[in-house]
Amino acid sequence: MRAMTRTIGAQLDRLRVAPEELVETGLVLLGRWLLRVVPGLLGVALFLGLWHLGHLSYGQFILPSPVQTLQAILRVLSSAEGWGLITATIARVAMALTTAVMVGVGLGLAAGYVTFLRRMFAPLATILLGMPATAWVILTMIWFGPSHGSIMFTITLVTTPMLYLGTVDAVLTRDRKLEDMAAAFGARAWQRFTRVALRQILATLAPVSGITLALGFKVAIMAELVANVAGLGGALARARANMDIDMALAYVALTVAALLAVEYGMIRPFQRRVGQWKRGGAL
Amino acid sequence: MSGLALVSINHVYNGRSVLRDVSLLTQPGEVVALVGPSGSGKSTLAAIAADVLTPDSGRILRSYRRHGMVFQQSRLLPWESARGNIAFPLVLDGMARADAFERAAEVAAAVALLPSDLEKMPDQLSGGMRARVAIARALAVAPDFLIFDEPFAALDPALRRRMQDLVIHLSATFEFGGLFITHDLTEAARIADRIAVLDRKGEGILGSLKPEGRPGTRSEAAIYAFVQHETATNPLLADLMNVDERALTYDDACDTSGPRRCC
Ligand SMILES: Nc1ncnc2c1ncn2[C@@H]1O[C@H](COP(=O)(O)OP(=O)(O)O)[C@@H](O)[C@H]1O
Ligand SMILES: [Mg+2]
Repeated sequence: MRAMTRTIGAQLDRLRVAPEELVETGLVLLGRWLLRVVPGLLGVALFLGLWHLGHLSYGQFILPSPVQTLQAILRVLSSAEGWGLITATIARVAMALTTAVMVGVGLGLAAGYVTFLRRMFAPLATILLGMPATAWVILTMIWFGPSHGSIMFTITLVTTPMLYLGTVDAVLTRDRKLEDMAAAFGARAWQRFTRVALRQILATLAPVSGITLALGFKVAIMAELVANVAGLGGALARARANMDIDMALAYVALTVAALLAVEYGMIRPFQRRVGQWKRGGAL
Repeated sequence: MSGLALVSINHVYNGRSVLRDVSLLTQPGEVVALVGPSGSGKSTLAAIAADVLTPDSGRILRSYRRHGMVFQQSRLLPWESARGNIAFPLVLDGMARADAFERAAEVAAAVALLPSDLEKMPDQLSGGMRARVAIARALAVAPDFLIFDEPFAALDPALRRRMQDLVIHLSATFEFGGLFITHDLTEAARIADRIAVLDRKGEGILGSLKPEGRPGTRSEAAIYAFVQHETATNPLLADLMNVDERALTYDDACDTSGPRRCC
């Protein structure tokens, strides 16, 4: 017992660091952190500065100042209605993307493994990918009227082909030699898929997921705006009708904020979890 | 009882015959080296022996309990640490992760990996360390037969020597027989009890050579003399140095740092 205490004591002694050394290390770490953060902060400052210059030269009826916009944002955020709009848009994007993931990734996996399906879906995917999102908004408005459903349909149709093509590519570019390795150790087909192939497929899909999310948001806003349905896009349409530029900018900023919140809250953790090994420390 | 018999194996890839009437028999506990120029079908035969590939025809008789395999370019899972890679076959078997990790640490010690190496990811390991991890992974399942497919081809000569000594030592310690594929006759002469020579076009085993003594007891001078003598005089080995570049596979072209890295 005493011997153990002595060894632990010796280890603690070795861990003990001189205070000046600690300060030095702290300064180095602080310096590194500043080097990482300062360029970004400068970028934001530059953006806000240009915005403010624009405001000064065009006046507040064309371009409100960043501060005025911030006040408008706070007005939206302090009303139940404002939160309702944000929730409506996010919920639509979430539901449409869930459908898109199930259909796009599901069919993509099947087509990645079955050449016949891949050849069959290839023209379809190309056509769908080439369709402008606006065309879908117009068509779905004619089919379903300006409704919740037409917007979800549009988002789903625009994002599904991307997820599909991303998944097919992920299946095809995986390293099959690793599956042979697993087979040599007796892995069954299902184990090779879940333990080896799927890991690689998800890692390849990680960047696609971020792009798809951003696209989903952009299409949602556009579709809401055209269809004038409750949501950030609808609110934007109303602000435009009232020539309320403060509110319009506030809704734009809120849209970007909502996208970033989902991106950093869900997509980045997902990407880090499945894709870090592939990109090393880059994520 | 730990031998492998491949009888009249034929295999065709996309209409091109790669192996024709290849038969190979290993005695219990015997390490047989299979040499042949690149593109002669060695890896294909290894995949057939390891039950990764089903040949178009032929019989495979396995009188061993379980095999392990070590590949060219190691083929470690890039998302798993060294420990996770060594434990991988055990996890496939359904062993609990904690138990598999414990066993991984045991075999890692047998190939002289340090506990601190076990936390590293494959891309943080050198080629030699990756080869050690790959060997440990093969040993994890306690095999009585090991299949090596040119595991050290990408290593520099000094490191290759050390890995060969490790394999000789392990085969004596754990008493496994095996099939060691290589296109390096010196490597074959150092590691194997017997050296089988595959035809340049996979048209059967041409014959076999037997260096004096058991692996591990041969002196460097004896190995050198054997290789010099055989390459100069033995007609079986005439094609060993003739590499057909067009027949090389992805395995040989594989670049460990490239976009399709396979470590
Ligand atoms: N998956 C495959 N599909 C088609 N041809 C292959 C495949 N794998 C290997 N081959 C061909 O089979 C021949 C033998 O290859 P391989 O067994 O890798 O030879 P070695 O290991 O002796 O270099 C080569 O000509 C190679 O191009
Ligand atoms: Mg080969």
